[in-house]
Amino acid sequence: MNSYKKLTLVDDDEIFVFLTKKMIEQVKVIHLLNVFGNGLDALNFLRDKKNDADLLPEIILLDLSMPVLNGWQFLEEYTKLYPIFGKKIIVYVCSSSISSTDINRAKSINEVSDYVIKPITIDKLRELVKF
Amino acid sequence: MGETNHKYAIDQPSIVAVTDEKGIITYVNDHFCEISKYTAEELIGQDHRILNSGYHSKELFAELWATINNGSAWKGELRNKAKDGTLYWADTTIVPFLNKDQKPYQFATIQTVISGRKKGQVAHKETFEELSHYKYALDQSAIVAITNKSGIITYVNEKFCTTSKYSSEELIGQDHRIINSGYYSKVFFKKLWSTILSGNVWKGELRNKAKDGSLYWVDTTIIPFLDKKNQPYQFVAIRFDITKRKKVEAQIKLSNKKAIQYTQVLESKNAQLVDFCSIISHNLRAPLTSILMLVDYLEQTKNKSERNEVLVKIKPVVNHLLDVFNDLVEAIQIQYDTNLVLEKIDLNDCLKKVLVGFDTQIQDCRADVQIDFTQAPVITSHQKYIHSIFTNLISNTLKYKSPNRKLIIIIRSFLKGKNKVVLSVSDNGLGIDLVLHKEQIFKIRKTFHKHPEAKGLGLFMTKTQVDALGGKIWAESQPNKGSIFFIELKHINT
Repeated sequence: MNSYKKLTLVDDDEIFVFLTKKMIEQVKVIHLLNVFGNGLDALNFLRDKKNDADLLPEIILLDLSMPVLNGWQFLEEYTKLYPIFGKKIIVYVCSSSISSTDINRAKSINEVSDYVIKPITIDKLRELVKF
Repeated sequence: MGETNHKYAIDQPSIVAVTDEKGIITYVNDHFCEISKYTAEELIGQDHRILNSGYHSKELFAELWATINNGSAWKGELRNKAKDGTLYWADTTIVPFLNKDQKPYQFATIQTVISGRKKGQVAHKETFEELSHYKYALDQSAIVAITNKSGIITYVNEKFCTTSKYSSEELIGQDHRIINSGYYSKVFFKKLWSTILSGNVWKGELRNKAKDGSLYWVDTTIIPFLDKKNQPYQFVAIRFDITKRKKVEAQIKLSNKKAIQYTQVLESKNAQLVDFCSIISHNLRAPLTSILMLVDYLEQTKNKSERNEVLVKIKPVVNHLLDVFNDLVEAIQIQYDTNLVLEKIDLNDCLKKVLVGFDTQIQDCRADVQIDFTQAPVITSHQKYIHSIFTNLISNTLKYKSPNRKLIIIIRSFLKGKNKVVLSVSDNGLGIDLVLHKEQIFKIRKTFHKHPEAKGLGLFMTKTQVDALGGKIWAESQPNKGSIFFIELKHINT
């Protein structure tokens, strides 16, 4: 087993991806596995590796507003796929939206562990990967 | 005079009785016993009143006695009661027998049973009375008319006259069409006539016209009266004035319609509000978050090259924020533009101006732009919106072109029915998966492609403008084949 946790980032915001990468470099326990700019690419990756637990991430940071397949559409497919994975994956919805509609909707989905409002700080990131 | 004389004098089967001067029965014939159901023994020695049914007044009997005591015969109809309580009417003649002093010493009563006839007459009288009550009641409340089988009015009641403002003289002899308001079709009346001519009752609401041209509504029932061959020989029309109710109904309908309209406006406003909430939450807050995170990073980083790397990232985000902001203001503006100036727009001129803005892009990718406005070269609409709609749709075709083939853009206008014109913009680009995105295609912040310039406001704006023009917008698309957008607008013939 690896000593660090693998993280998959699903977000189309280049600035956010750039800065999160920088933060992950400083938080020693995480390894950035991959970045996808939309829900569909992320879903295809997960489908591809569904039987290979070692290649799947432990954490997914998921944006909501994305092209092609947005965060909600991703989650719809993801919940169907989740039982096939041979491991526990923590999903954090990470969005700039502060609308209670979005927050409540995200929290009502079993596979979502928490809703994180952007911006995220390095301290928040450390907290998220402590489990 | 003896018994034989009486018997001789009258025809059987009369009821015959003889009483003395006080009315005590001294003789009855067999028929008397048969009808009265008393035996002769029971009757003889009794007062004739034994048969009194209590129906007639004391005055009648007083008059009867006065007549016969005076030596004259009395004729009349009496109702008698038999022993078992049954009643029978009898045509009665009482003849006094006078002594030498011209005083009656006995009376002969000769009766013929008329029960059946009398009963019928009474029943008839009662029915007649009841009927006239009904007629009175009907005349008070309803508009009544009788027509013959060809529809000529033969009778109208007073209410018919007051409602229609015609006199009965003006109406009788006329066809019912005199009050036709022209509201219903020939087919409607054909149906009415075929109903009543086949012997059925017709019910419905009719709008009629009074003599002064005013209109009134009547709830109508037409009853055909049938002869022995089941053929109608006349029709009775009973109508109730429901003009007031109709007016109220019309008002309710109108206010319902208005309420529905207001609700629709409210619903769409509410949907827009939710959209705006979403824009503020995502489209505006996202770039602000980015700026904040960039600034945070700058504060914490001492390394000069890293600082420079971050610094150059700030300006594009600020520019993007400004773009989103401007688009948003424009979108809000559209919602408040209620009085749009409509003018004739030459589509060729309008499109030429739009294409100037895309000149470089079109030349760069060598796109083939085909234009066909022959069917509807001129439309009446709002210049600015049509310009903006073309700009957005053409910008999309260029943004989402396929890298594998030369872009072909086809822009057309065509007529749909008499008063609709449709503009269409089609391409052979990337297309949109409408199965996946059908509900969202015209919503704000929806982008369907991984394109750096996709802000997700273009189609939302276009939809808002089309809505403001009272039009419709829809799309057909297949992934990797292309898209076609249709905009349907009101067409004002010039």
